[in-house]
Amino acid sequence: MSCNEFNRMAGAYLDGELPEEERRRFEEHLASCDACRTELAELKRLTEDLNMMRFKEPGDEELQRYWAGVYNRLERGIGWILLSAGAILTLCYGAFKIIEEMIRDPAVSVILKVGVCALIAGLVVLFVSLLRERLVVRKVDRYSREVER
Amino acid sequence: MSENETALLERCRDGDKDAFGFVVKKYAGRASGAACLLLGCPHEALDASQEAFVRAWRNIRRFNTASPFYPWYSAILRNVCKSRLRRRARRRTVALTDGHGDSSSNSDPVLLAERNERRDALWRGVMKLSDPFREIILMKHFQEMSYKGIAAALGIPIGTVMSRLHSARRALRETLAGEVS
Repeated sequence: MSCNEFNRMAGAYLDGELPEEERRRFEEHLASCDACRTELAELKRLTEDLNMMRFKEPGDEELQRYWAGVYNRLERGIGWILLSAGAILTLCYGAFKIIEEMIRDPAVSVILKVGVCALIAGLVVLFVSLLRERLVVRKVDRYSREVER
Repeated sequence: MSENETALLERCRDGDKDAFGFVVKKYAGRASGAACLLLGCPHEALDASQEAFVRAWRNIRRFNTASPFYPWYSAILRNVCKSRLRRRARRRTVALTDGHGDSSSNSDPVLLAERNERRDALWRGVMKLSDPFREIILMKHFQEMSYKGIAAALGIPIGTVMSRLHSARRALRETLAGEVS
């Protein structure tokens, strides 16, 4: 085993992730190379320090604030859904009524009526296209799969 | 996983927000720390970890209560952080030095337990690493994941895990050496 190869495997050796055969070759080289022994000792110190690092556990007050933040978002989520649904229904109904009146009104020119109808048809086509795209993406979305894991 | 946690998670699945509160409080510290390592910004980390808990709650019915909560949650957290990093890149802001704070606040090791000079320096060194290096250090050393687990989570071969960890540790040693000299 060369010193380069040794260096590449040193981390996996310390992590206990080397297969038996490679571990044996690694230890043979270790026994015969002073420079690699020094290198391994330095790396060992680093990995031990990293392994000792832990995240701080927040205090009770911090935890309470943290949970309050999550809870507020959960509540607001329901609020946003209701608000959006209400707004969509109201806007759709309003738009329907306005367009209905405009189409029945003989004073409005035919060109404007055709224009408005084309606008609505365009919006519907775009909406359906986007919806279909979202559904296709959802099937191959890594996030959804990870959520199910 | 303790029986207690299984029971709590069952209650969460039944829509019990108080039970979810206990789960959130149990993992809040670890979640914020992990998000900080992934995003490089303590302030955004708090927000991202809370967002991930909200997503976890919304998908809790799809969670198998027989398995541990944290690995499932951390996959969600990782996705939340990745989206934020992508948004950040799109906005052409530079990671770690953007408007969320200066580099000193980003490298503040306040999220660490049992601090000492060496660990503070180590934390600052980790925070200076690139996103993929910080992520793999987080998985190996803070979340104590095996190479196999990391490979599965990142969708890369075990050989790549080994070489990426090797490069991350080498970069970290160089950063620490630079700090000392």
